[in-house]
Amino acid sequence: MITVHLYGKLRRFAEESDPAADSTVSIPVVPGETIEGILKRIGIPEEELGNNIFLNGEYSGLTREVKSGDRLGVFPDDMQLLYKWYFTKREGDRSDEPG
Amino acid sequence: MPRHGDLFYSERCREREDLISKKELVTVQTILRVNMADRTATYEDVPEKYKQRAGRWLTSSIVCDEIPATCHPLGPKNKVVIASGIVSGTVSPTSARISVGAKSPLTGTIKESNAGTWFSQKLARLGIKAIIIEGVSTEKGSLLTLKIDKEGATFESADRFAGKKLSEVYPPLFEEHGGKQKVAIMGIGVAGERLMTAAGVAFNDLEGRPSRYSGRGGLGAVLGSKGLKFIVVDDTDAPGVEIVNQELFDQGRKKLADALLAHDITKPKGGLNTYGTAVLVNIINEVGGLPTRNFREGRFEGAAKIAGEAIFAGNKERTGKELYNHACSPGCIIKCSNTWHRSDGSEHTSCIEYESDWAFGANCGIDDLDTIAELNQLCNDYGLDTIEVGGTLAVAMDGGLAAFGDGKRAIELVEEIGQGTPLGRILGNGAVMAGRAFGVTRVPAVKGQNMPAYEPRAIKGIGITYAIGTMGADHTSGYTIAPEILGVSGKVDPLDANKVEMARNFQYATAFIDTSGHCLFIAFAILDIPTGFEGMIEECNGVLGTDWNADDVGRIGKEVIDMELAFNRAAGFTKADDRLPEFMKNEPLPPHNTVWDLSDEELDRVLV
Repeated sequence: MITVHLYGKLRRFAEESDPAADSTVSIPVVPGETIEGILKRIGIPEEELGNNIFLNGEYSGLTREVKSGDRLGVFPDDMQLLYKWYFTKREGDRSDEPG
Repeated sequence: MPRHGDLFYSERCREREDLISKKELVTVQTILRVNMADRTATYEDVPEKYKQRAGRWLTSSIVCDEIPATCHPLGPKNKVVIASGIVSGTVSPTSARISVGAKSPLTGTIKESNAGTWFSQKLARLGIKAIIIEGVSTEKGSLLTLKIDKEGATFESADRFAGKKLSEVYPPLFEEHGGKQKVAIMGIGVAGERLMTAAGVAFNDLEGRPSRYSGRGGLGAVLGSKGLKFIVVDDTDAPGVEIVNQELFDQGRKKLADALLAHDITKPKGGLNTYGTAVLVNIINEVGGLPTRNFREGRFEGAAKIAGEAIFAGNKERTGKELYNHACSPGCIIKCSNTWHRSDGSEHTSCIEYESDWAFGANCGIDDLDTIAELNQLCNDYGLDTIEVGGTLAVAMDGGLAAFGDGKRAIELVEEIGQGTPLGRILGNGAVMAGRAFGVTRVPAVKGQNMPAYEPRAIKGIGITYAIGTMGADHTSGYTIAPEILGVSGKVDPLDANKVEMARNFQYATAFIDTSGHCLFIAFAILDIPTGFEGMIEECNGVLGTDWNADDVGRIGKEVIDMELAFNRAAGFTKADDRLPEFMKNEPLPPHNTVWDLSDEELDRVLV
């Protein structure tokens, strides 16, 4: 299972939607699946996705692979305020992960 | 002639009247020098070297040129310099920043702290490039108001406002001076009167609330030491800002406005307008970089309860309508200032910025917005820096003065600051002071200033900013960039020359924005939209008649930072001060369980 934390208007895809609480959805992970695949299965329209996606707290692009036990945080296109110059966006497989 | 009762009318005001009568004012810019020892206000010509300078460039220049770096920050040799940015007072969007500079009593370094307020635009429209406040009032305990209008500058007593909450004294002050449309007011609260190093400088927003702060570095205490409580600026019939090349200015203004209107973060009903800066609570919490319980953890379990979304939803429930944020000053496109309302719908406070929300929330383990709002309002009322006070409360909680999460006790502790009790005087002097008083070694400060709401062990780039910035741990004094982009963190590659230059250029661009009069938030738009960046430069060229290009942005930014570094060196600071606190090198921060691992040598190469 992967736990997806949804924010803003994307909270409507969560099991319970409350703007002042954690809105999450948990779904099983298909081996080799990427963040993009997970978001598609949840049903989030591409145009509502912002640039602020975090896999286990790491600023990530859609092509990153996910694993069971991961935490994915997803913000919509109208909630982007990351000082992105402080972050490197990770893409692709996870071989570059420290540790 | 004097117009406000027991005034101390300056001879030079009459000279200025002569200037006005000659109709030279449109082209005559002046520096207003205010001597608190003999209560004189003198208009001086702008020296040639300062003609193009404004904002942070000008305040830091005057601080470096006039203040002995080794002086006592609260003694007679320190000065407070107040300057609007280059395009402030024009119709340029989001350009109402006022810079306040001095030697900081909190850090001992140079300081420039800026705020967004009508005050900046009104001052610029009067043709005043800078106010320099110097000397110390010889009448101990007496406080003055400086009133500035097109006819000159005069003093009046502010003693009747001493010791009171700023939200109580601003309304009568506005009334006395013609209302909140007519004048803008800078002020200090009881914290500044008592020379506390967590004291900020308040400016009013469009509704007249004393809620916009040059908060950091204890500049309110420097004004308190001089006996200056308020500056009231009235720009009625002011000549306005002269624009040398109107066409170029208009072209630049349009490019910048288009960029701000187009970018997802800065556009109307974009991220900042809807959720305010507090939208960052959930984002930085996801990143694992939201300092929690005095920088023990990087995620706060109560984050969602205090975040921008919760503020928006809570206001909607309590007021029955969707409240989009308001502008702090005229002409702002971004409009990021929020309000928080009580359960009966009445307004409790404005503005709960991300950093204030974090300081009283996650950092103190408090997950209740009403408590955070009360702490925020008390700081606005006493004239305190919310970041320093929240950081101090967390250190005090570590020292056993309250349990983390005890909002009731946190409010009582801040009230002690307002009352000036011995405990309040310790807390009003910041986190380092509280750490010493209560035997706490976990003090997340650099050069005496508590870190704001971004954890360096999780966000390495901000750690560089905190460490090498010229003003202590500050998230705005000069952005650096991700060390991963620089190729340093955990990688074998050393910093190569190009990447070091990139980090420096980023610092320089920040210093330039602080000079332009624009809010730093335009950075989101102009770094993504090149025409916006061009527009900012063209506007400045239009006002000044210069022909700057992107290289000049770097050159000017470098000049600002180099002079600030030189001041700090002369004040006794060395590379050994450019360090993060020891505990961050030893204690892994959950959830990433990382420590601060950038070597001192690498840090020292960013700014040489």
